[in-house]
Amino acid sequence: MADDTPSNGINRRKFLTVLGVAGGGTAALSGCSTDRVQKLVPYLVQSEDQVPGIPTVYASTCTECAAGCGLHVRTREGRAIKLEGNPAHPINAGTLCARGQAGLQGLYNPGRLSGPMARGADGSWQELTWEDAIARLAERVGGGAGRLAVISGAGEGTFADLLAEWTAALGGRLVRYEPFDHEPLRAANRQVFGLDQLPSHDFARARHIVSFGADFLETWLAPVEQQRGFAAAHGYRDGEMAKHVYVGPRMSLTGMNADEWHASAPGTEAVVALAMAHVILAERSGAPSDANALRGVLAPYTPEMAAGECGLSADAIRLLAREFASARPSLAVTGGVAMQHRGAVEACAAVNILNYVAGNVGETVRFGSRLPAADGYGALDGLIATMAAGEVGVVLVHEANPLYAVPKARGLADAFAKVPFKVSTASVLDETAAACDLVLPNHHALERWDDRRIRAGVVGLMQPVMEPVMGSMPTGDVLLKTAQKIGGVMARFAAPTFEAHLKAAWAELARQRSASAPVFWMEALQRGGLYEAPPAPPGVRLAAGAERVGYTGPDLDGEGALVFLAYPTSMLFDGRGANRPWLLENPDPVTKITWQSWVELHPDTAKDLDVREGEIVRLVSPHGTLEAPAYLYAGVRTGVVAAPLGYGHTEYGQYAKGRGANALDLLDGGAGRAFLPYLSTRVRLERTRGYQKVAKTEGNPRQLGRHIAEAMSLPLARQGLDPRQAHYAETGGTPHEINTERELEAIAGFAAAQQAATKLGNYAGEHPRWGMVIDLARCTGCSSCVTACYAENNIPTVGEDEVLRGREMSWLRIERYFEGGEEPGEPLEARFVPMLCQHCGNAPCEPVCPVYAAYHTPDGLNAQVYNRCVGTRYCSNNCPYKVRYFNWHAYNKTAFPEPLHLQLNPDVTVRARGVMEKCTFCVQRIRGAQHQARLEDRPLADGDVVTACAQACPSGAIVFGDLNDPASRARAAAADHRGYHALEDLNVRPVITYLAKVQHRTEA
Amino acid sequence: MRKLALLAGGTALLLAGVGWAVRDASSAVQTSAAGCDSLTAPTLAAGDTARLRGPRQPIFFRHDIHAGQYKIQCQYCHYSVAVATEPGIPSMQTCMGCHLVIGGADSASKAEIRKLREASAQQQPIEWVRIHYLARHAHFPHMVHIKALGPTACATCHGDVTRMPQVFKVNNVNNMGWCIDCHLERTVSRDCSVCHY
Repeated sequence: MADDTPSNGINRRKFLTVLGVAGGGTAALSGCSTDRVQKLVPYLVQSEDQVPGIPTVYASTCTECAAGCGLHVRTREGRAIKLEGNPAHPINAGTLCARGQAGLQGLYNPGRLSGPMARGADGSWQELTWEDAIARLAERVGGGAGRLAVISGAGEGTFADLLAEWTAALGGRLVRYEPFDHEPLRAANRQVFGLDQLPSHDFARARHIVSFGADFLETWLAPVEQQRGFAAAHGYRDGEMAKHVYVGPRMSLTGMNADEWHASAPGTEAVVALAMAHVILAERSGAPSDANALRGVLAPYTPEMAAGECGLSADAIRLLAREFASARPSLAVTGGVAMQHRGAVEACAAVNILNYVAGNVGETVRFGSRLPAADGYGALDGLIATMAAGEVGVVLVHEANPLYAVPKARGLADAFAKVPFKVSTASVLDETAAACDLVLPNHHALERWDDRRIRAGVVGLMQPVMEPVMGSMPTGDVLLKTAQKIGGVMARFAAPTFEAHLKAAWAELARQRSASAPVFWMEALQRGGLYEAPPAPPGVRLAAGAERVGYTGPDLDGEGALVFLAYPTSMLFDGRGANRPWLLENPDPVTKITWQSWVELHPDTAKDLDVREGEIVRLVSPHGTLEAPAYLYAGVRTGVVAAPLGYGHTEYGQYAKGRGANALDLLDGGAGRAFLPYLSTRVRLERTRGYQKVAKTEGNPRQLGRHIAEAMSLPLARQGLDPRQAHYAETGGTPHEINTERELEAIAGFAAAQQAATKLGNYAGEHPRWGMVIDLARCTGCSSCVTACYAENNIPTVGEDEVLRGREMSWLRIERYFEGGEEPGEPLEARFVPMLCQHCGNAPCEPVCPVYAAYHTPDGLNAQVYNRCVGTRYCSNNCPYKVRYFNWHAYNKTAFPEPLHLQLNPDVTVRARGVMEKCTFCVQRIRGAQHQARLEDRPLADGDVVTACAQACPSGAIVFGDLNDPASRARAAAADHRGYHALEDLNVRPVITYLAKVQHRTEA
Repeated sequence: MRKLALLAGGTALLLAGVGWAVRDASSAVQTSAAGCDSLTAPTLAAGDTARLRGPRQPIFFRHDIHAGQYKIQCQYCHYSVAVATEPGIPSMQTCMGCHLVIGGADSASKAEIRKLREASAQQQPIEWVRIHYLARHAHFPHMVHIKALGPTACATCHGDVTRMPQVFKVNNVNNMGWCIDCHLERTVSRDCSVCHY
């Protein structure tokens, strides 16, 4: 769009004046919208792999969490514009979650440091040259300034090896720490199976999945891989689907995708699992025969005993156990809140036993492929103690933010301050870097050479996809240069750069495989790494420790009436997402809250306390206090109060700093523990009488009978009923016939008129009809598609104030509706509907546009012509789906502060103030594919056009294609008996077909 | 806007006094096919650039010599026009590929080539003044037009640069009517969303 203000150039009137006087002829005047001289700057040397206008894609590896998904980084004219999944990667197979995609905003984060900095004598930051910075580091670590300690993030790879060797050579101590590092799971595997490992889980094969608090669709282990597996198992196909049961005090996103949610009391997961194992062993002989030996150990854990502890009924536990045992193979997983209380090892051990007696170990639970990730909280805790004792001379923090991630009650800030020289490699000034003396900003993962060992046989490579955005330096280079500067014993780190070091390591990998090193390297680089088959899993038998399983009950400190539950959200994770506007604006999938932190209360608890939504409540624990607005959520157990982690940063850039409250403040510091318990405190709730409007994007949490998110039970789906028939089959009614003869006649006449209209001009002849099918049985509401849409279509983030006014611009939003849960005992069910422009065949927005900016294209798109739009907003008023978004302000000028503007997709217009916009079905991808087909003299094939949302979806819930093509996947999917249109009764003829969700409930 | 374009053309007609600078857009298109094999570019010096139409460029690069007299294919320099949406601006390396050897025939061209060689030696790209600037809400895929109209169709929009000592704007590419005329004539799509998205 042209600039919306004429102030900085020449307007029409002035143009005419100048032309009259000077006669024209200068570049500044020769165009209709060029009001300043533009320069064309050529390359000095033409890049071999960059053609202007054609994206170049580099393979890389995601570093936003420890899962290690493969990336395809789409670059245009030398800058990365979008992160997509690598289709060849064994973990994510071409899809990517919201956090992974937002890695791009880590690369272009406005908070990134421009170069190395040191704390001056007066405490202010002074910029340094890299030479000076490395000299200072070398002097401190090599000059015998006392013991060196290094705190690094998780992740194995050539860099981690180098860092370990470097630290060891300097006589230092290395602690690799990552929040939520699954330490209890590893301890339980040691105890029960004698294996110090994390398992991998085959969700795709499981026929019955029980999750004990494990949020495997959002934050636990490898969410994208697990979501792919879950969609394969739990998605409905040919009358079959797996059942998913969630046991835990809070219905997380994973819990919302369960067919049944059992709200167990906090910290009682172990007893449920033991009682299930008890029932299985009591009713049949153990599948691996040595499981029978556990009968004695499990004898006390009868369903009746468990029912008294956990709040589930004995019958429910018995039924759950029977279903779990009869579906082969099944899968039980434990994590999340179940893995974050003081009895977590017990809970994980109990679930191990349950999997073992059900015969799942070696089937859906496999060992031997997942690498150990980190050293655990215990190691960091030990280091904190030595820092507090003043025994550490230099601390180097790399890819970790312990001053934020460790609860304040542990006293890390004081211990850290006792270290005389503190160094951070953070590229953004986070809490830890702000407390350091020297900051050596690392390259972003997309700017440097690196690799990551993800699991046995899978190594992800990273390569620079563009020139560095800032004056940072890869920490690998810093380590090598420092070592060379120190000399002596450190001189063995002789590689000139980390790139050379990495290539040498890969040459060794090639040698082990008797391959030619250059060929091996090039192939791995193109592929994105080394993807070999995992080794055969070891045979697993019960170890002696299996006899020691048990249950001791929840161990909570504090006196308050409510149990405090802190959980990582799927957007901010451990807090590292808090400086990415995409993640802050993408609503939390459960609560639909953006830009704010909150406190979740069950409506009954809130009623008892007389708290309303938005009222700022103060939670008081023995360790600290927290203030945040209340959000009433029926998916949290009564007597439990939950709050998200990741907010309340005191540093970490303009987006994160001072946003929300840090739930870690309420927690015990975990001194002397092997892992940090996030569920360990009782709190007292105090009312503050303050009020803050909650910035949530949901309108009404209930559907009010509008049939937007349809669902049917498995037996009805097996009968092949459509959603309407299923509705009447369930409610016992009959469809009410509304079509009188006159109405039918009118509809037929309308259709004929439409047909006649299509024979005119542009609309004559053969055209594709673009359409989409969204399978709600596969959609988990993860919101990966939302971020994909923001990235592809240059959608601006508007910020908290504008969201509060309902002005968020998300072309694609995930609507979340609740069913049930209103009467006591009535199960609560959540449904998700991705809501985007329905590209109606009979669109109500089109006829009301006075300037024809909203119109129908010959290929079935409901198009919006930005340069025609004058902003009357009639179209939005007339849209029944509310999927049109108006640029109330110049969001294009505020949403992309430098260098964030580099993320913009050059194929999509950046919309200016006063313009209506909406989903285009990624028309730029459609046109691009059509042009490519034209160049190759071939017709467009099914699958040539994939929208950004369909591409990103880990569940494969979205299918896009030409509905006029009899062979297209979309057409076949749209013909499914579960298909329906949202608000079908309006006769707007949407081109998006939803396939109703299928509920796998046990019939009473 | 169309009136403005005509006005600009008319003004140019009055001012056109240099050599055989193209008088208006339509004659440029007509003469390009017929008279291109007998082209000999006139001798001009940098001092003449002020009198020529079009903006002065940092180097007096002459399309009439390169594309006219020596008949170098457009795509030799504008290398991506047949495959990508963008035509591609030749890199300095492309210029130096010839001008390492070719130093110029007369003193005027020698002076200009010297500027190029100096910039290249100092690794400084030449910042050309942009002439055709399509508004960002319109997308013009060059490759599809070359595919449909052939590799010499550049003149349809850009005028006959083989006769332009200094390139100037012949057609206002931001005038949508100019696009639509051609699309109507050839009965190809006039759907808005073909270009505007």
